[in-house]
Amino acid sequence: MQANARHQKHALATFVGLLPLIIFLALLLYVGLNAPNFLTFMNLKLVLAQSLPVVLAVIGLSAVVMAGGDDVVSGGIDLSIPATAVLCAGIVAVITTAGLSLVLAAGAALVACMLVGGINALLVTLLRMTPLLTTLAMFVAVVGINNVITSRRRLDLTSDAIASLRQDFAFGLPLGIIIVGILVLISYHLLHRTKWGLNLQAAGGSRDAAEISGIRVNTLVAQSYLLAAFMGFVTGFFILARGNGYSPGTEDNLMLEMVLANFLGAAFSPRRVVTMWGAVLGAVLVAAISIGLKTIGVNVFWTDLIKGALIVTVVALSAISERVR
Amino acid sequence: MEHVSAKGNFNLRGIVVRFGFLIVFALFFAFFATWNPVFISGNNLLNIVEGSAILMIIALGMTLIVATGGIDLSVGIALDFGAAFAVVAMKTYDMGWGSAVCAGLIGGSLVGLFNAALVVGLRISPFLATLGTFFIGSSVQRIFTNGGGPISHRRMPDGFRNIAQGDVFGIPSEVILAAVLVVIYYLVLERSVWGRRVHAMGMQRSASIVAGIRVNRILIACFVFASITCAVGGLISAANIRMFTPLSGFSYLLDAIAAVFIGAALHPRGRPNVLGTVAGVLFLGMVTNGLNLMGLNFNTKDALSGIILVSALALAVAQRNMRNADGD
Repeated sequence: MQANARHQKHALATFVGLLPLIIFLALLLYVGLNAPNFLTFMNLKLVLAQSLPVVLAVIGLSAVVMAGGDDVVSGGIDLSIPATAVLCAGIVAVITTAGLSLVLAAGAALVACMLVGGINALLVTLLRMTPLLTTLAMFVAVVGINNVITSRRRLDLTSDAIASLRQDFAFGLPLGIIIVGILVLISYHLLHRTKWGLNLQAAGGSRDAAEISGIRVNTLVAQSYLLAAFMGFVTGFFILARGNGYSPGTEDNLMLEMVLANFLGAAFSPRRVVTMWGAVLGAVLVAAISIGLKTIGVNVFWTDLIKGALIVTVVALSAISERVR
Repeated sequence: MEHVSAKGNFNLRGIVVRFGFLIVFALFFAFFATWNPVFISGNNLLNIVEGSAILMIIALGMTLIVATGGIDLSVGIALDFGAAFAVVAMKTYDMGWGSAVCAGLIGGSLVGLFNAALVVGLRISPFLATLGTFFIGSSVQRIFTNGGGPISHRRMPDGFRNIAQGDVFGIPSEVILAAVLVVIYYLVLERSVWGRRVHAMGMQRSASIVAGIRVNRILIACFVFASITCAVGGLISAANIRMFTPLSGFSYLLDAIAAVFIGAALHPRGRPNVLGTVAGVLFLGMVTNGLNLMGLNFNTKDALSGIILVSALALAVAQRNMRNADGD
């Protein structure tokens, strides 16, 4: 009897745990039923293409959260990734518009982005500043610097190489989707299948235990911020490709979608921890919901409300399933 | 994270280290004063204080929430709701200014109640709960104003306009309101048993539950109290520009967080505290004003204040670390 009761309780916990994903899929199904062409192959490709910058940004964010622990206020978080991304987009756009080569532009952007990552790493590990505060302040500073560089203008894309991320196809898929797919696989291997990745997760899981067992936590945390900055750098090119150039103010939305995707991803995972698959799935679903709501003609004023309600529902459900267990 | 120093901080290095940030404050002050003598004039100093009044009020609410161990990303929503409820009460329902003020405060408290329901009732972490409130609150404002257009009310009752534009013996009323709130917050958070409980809960939540502190009740009270405070900021901004501008509260969020954490770094044990927050707000207000007087281009000014923000935070934290090293 007791075993049976425990079994039932376990089944209930599993069900509650799956609810976030079920709610999402139900919402998408609802959209699909109301807009017949939403669930077509063409449109799903469009959704994927739209989600690319968020996917890339959230890979960097999940590495930082893994290394720093998933407590939002005292653990690891990097809110400066969207700023790094627009910094890269801004620098590349300005230099290529001036007629100089793309390689030079990419080099300059890489140096600038890694500098941002290095400062983050320094402030968090050496000064022991709260990551939330550090990266939020860095977000403001970097966006400010980028606005000086670009003078807050719209800059049209002049580089064909970047445009080909969106326009060119290989194996029937846009080149951008394939490249991001490969990057996702590489970072999955790096974060979940190598010794380095496991050490990273151990550091975030329990800092003290990791330090006692000889893991150099500070080094790993610093490396996670550098990885995040690098992902921000890559994101920059996809922002340029998606928007066909640089537009000021892209960073705010990217920040919200990145944070949303990251925490939704944690709610999707069985152990309620941030994983790369969860984060990538979260990013794609967030893009799907945004496009889906637009497709069925939901008033734009309501989209934030629906997103907010989704965060609250998903996070509340994951708290409840923890308690049922 | 926080070291409680047993020996106290009475050694000389501790004192020097403690005032390091204030020295930087003074250096900035001197720099702006030499760049443009207008900076130091009495009128301009009053401008700085007046311009910081709303941020001061928002930062006080934030201090309370950070002291409980959380964070509140929805302070701007409480400000907007305060302004919206008051303006609509006067414009649509033709209420007197007293009732409009009450309506605004009630509007703000709704935000706090919603946060409290999420954090205490559903046990969502404050960051995510208030992020949700931020999304929902922004959307509600867009829906209500049909897209985000301002609701203006030119013929406001004089009583209401005086909240921002009146003065007592030449001191602008918003400065007086902010000062009164600073005193109230100081007495409640730093000088009362209730304030001790809030700090205890923020430092060691499980220990304070064991000690019999009714954590949930305090959390609800803090969220409601903080949101009502932010609504006061909303009343001032509504009275100042004689309209409600949707989503205008967001611009105070980051500065409020920064002020609270600069203040916390100035505290011997790294706790958020009212006087530290006041110092943080005045520092940010001085930098904004000083950069304005330097006549820089808008973008350059933004970038500089961002860089100063990062450096100020890093400096304040470095100082705290040195202090803790002394204490150990």
